[in-house]
Amino acid sequence: MNVVTRGIRNAFRNQIRTFSIVVILGLSVGLALAMLVARQAVTDKISSVKSSVGNTVSVSPAGARGFEGGGTALTTAQIAKLATLANVTSVDSTLSDRLTTSNSNLASAVDAGSLGQRFAQNNGTSFSGGEFQGQRPSGATSGTSDSETPVMRTFTPPVTVVGTTSPTKLSSSVGGGSFTLKSGKTFSATSTENVAVIGSSLATKNNLKVGSTFTAYNTSITVIGTFDAGNSFSNNQVLMPLATVQKLSDQAGAVTSATIHVNSIDNVATVTTAATSSLGSAADVTNDSAAAESSVAPLENIQTISLYSLIGAVTAGAVIILLTMIMIVRERRREIGVIKAIGASNIKVMLQFASEAVTFTILGAVIGIIFGLVAGNPITKLLVNNSTSAATTATTMGGPGGFGGRGGGRALRSLGSNFSTISASVGWDIILYGLGVAIIIAIIGSGLASFFIAKIRPAEVMRAE
Amino acid sequence: MLEVKNVKRSFKSGDVTVNAVDDVSFKVPEGQFASIIGKSGSGKSTLLSLLGALDKPSSGSIEVDGKDIAKMHDHALISYRCQKIGFVFQSYNLVPNLTALENVILPMEFAGLGKKERLERGKKLLAQVGLTEDQMDRKPGKLSGGQQQRVSIARALANKPKVILADEPTGNLDSQTGKMVFDLLHDLARSENTTIITVTHDLSIAGKTDRTFQLIDGKLTEYKK
Ligand SMILES: Nc1ncnc2c1ncn2[C@@H]1O[C@H](COP(=O)(O)OP(=O)(O)O)[C@@H](O)[C@H]1O
Ligand SMILES: [Mg+2]
Repeated sequence: MNVVTRGIRNAFRNQIRTFSIVVILGLSVGLALAMLVARQAVTDKISSVKSSVGNTVSVSPAGARGFEGGGTALTTAQIAKLATLANVTSVDSTLSDRLTTSNSNLASAVDAGSLGQRFAQNNGTSFSGGEFQGQRPSGATSGTSDSETPVMRTFTPPVTVVGTTSPTKLSSSVGGGSFTLKSGKTFSATSTENVAVIGSSLATKNNLKVGSTFTAYNTSITVIGTFDAGNSFSNNQVLMPLATVQKLSDQAGAVTSATIHVNSIDNVATVTTAATSSLGSAADVTNDSAAAESSVAPLENIQTISLYSLIGAVTAGAVIILLTMIMIVRERRREIGVIKAIGASNIKVMLQFASEAVTFTILGAVIGIIFGLVAGNPITKLLVNNSTSAATTATTMGGPGGFGGRGGGRALRSLGSNFSTISASVGWDIILYGLGVAIIIAIIGSGLASFFIAKIRPAEVMRAE
Repeated sequence: MLEVKNVKRSFKSGDVTVNAVDDVSFKVPEGQFASIIGKSGSGKSTLLSLLGALDKPSSGSIEVDGKDIAKMHDHALISYRCQKIGFVFQSYNLVPNLTALENVILPMEFAGLGKKERLERGKKLLAQVGLTEDQMDRKPGKLSGGQQQRVSIARALANKPKVILADEPTGNLDSQTGKMVFDLLHDLARSENTTIITVTHDLSIAGKTDRTFQLIDGKLTEYKK
């Protein structure tokens, strides 16, 4: 028998009271844990959403996205200025172009399908005047007065050439996807060689492998690598050094899109503003972070709610223990006096009561942990579903990417579906947290009781009851 | 040797100041058995708690073995209570959820005695006060008043104190049981050469002690038989 075991034993002196306290404490610890679980799940999701959106800013010529719209290309000089802005780590520039059957021997790996045919039935207007350089199979009627006769042309989506300073980052303005090198190597940002890294489906279609050559812009280009982007559109692309494409396509210094990499997600907005004022009306500067911000807002609300609920639950637990301990100390006033009279120090008496409080809370924690394990996930789902259903419908927008590809639309769709996949993970760490919470509750709870213990005068034992 | 010099203890309740112990001086040599008699409210309990360092005098000095406990720091007072003093109370004051044996062991634990030693001594003391093995493992609620007071005497003797202070130890017992408890206290103290100061209402008990003091309104005088 010592101070601690006496405290533990005292916890069971009044069994009905012990039972009630333990159940109430269990609920408060359980609620605290469930809130902790919810908060953790939501926090993880927020950071994953934020990092999936990325800390990048997209720059395109004003009015142009990929091959859609119009406007004038940006210049290398304008892009160079962006690289000097504060918080910018690097800038990737691309110049996208399309190969034609007249300047290239490459066959597209993508069939027109019904979507492609839509454009073919367009009476040629939008693609006339030499602007449209779509490939036509050798059998197609070319050269006949297509502007007068609404012929059904056989349309094949063209092969896209992307001149880029960063071959491993696929621009979202032209297909996007994540770059995986399948064979060979890539070129450097400043390369001027006539080399290319080509999409895997294009390589298969044209029987090309590392070392093969093909013709583009009537020039022989050597394949130095092949890649897989995970989507058919990008896999039908040719990546070449920016300078090479600028030179071969007679577009010296032109850039059709740039991606600014920002050092931190928090600086994306500032860099966007700085880039906008640097480029003026020449460019459209956009980022996904505003959209990401608004789509994680409900999650951030849950984060706040769960934090307050967590604090509330812990406080409630502490108050329960506090009141209980004060009640117990008052009840055992005389006994405390006796123990002091026969030689116990204040510290020993306090320790005895603290271990009684810890016993209550550990029992409560056990019930609370079970409750937390069972209820953590459902509570998280409930919170998330209730406060994000509006946001989810609002963020699901944007159709198929078309030629231009709408990176933003894709990102937002994935955010929307993210909410339903939030799940709270409950593991050993939660159990440890639970015990930690319990101990904190016990310490806070027995603190004031200790003060009362210290105030009890041993001389009181001499007084008649 | 217990030497009390000009000890005063006054309580303030509102505007009135009560001199519960008023300029008390006396000496009790080692091993003497002294009793204090007096009416209810005359200051007997207050004087006893001053002697046992449960309370501090408003003025005066209380010397035990040449050391003034009125000037001791809290920490020293705790070990004084633990090592030098044994208390026996009118209402026994045993810890209700500990067995008789555990109650006797408690002061030895506070004194830092080893586990085995205190268990042995606890059993020996309880046997000396006349408890059976079976009674030793009972909680106070399942012992009679007389048995509980025996346990509390065993507890008072646990750390071989210099002085035992008993506040009406027979007050809650019938006269026969009271006599037995008193004789027990007397015998044990004699054999251990312990100084005993007991407060009592019972003049027949007071008559058996070495000397008797009388308290009247906080003032102490030697009582002549
Ligand atoms: N803590 C206290 N506060 C105020 N008055 C007290 C206190 N303790 C004792 N007294 C007063 O001191 C006087 C002596 O009390 P006490 O020593 O208990 O008497 P006795 O034990 O002889 O019956 C009484 O008048 C009592 O009311
Ligand atoms: Mg009294």
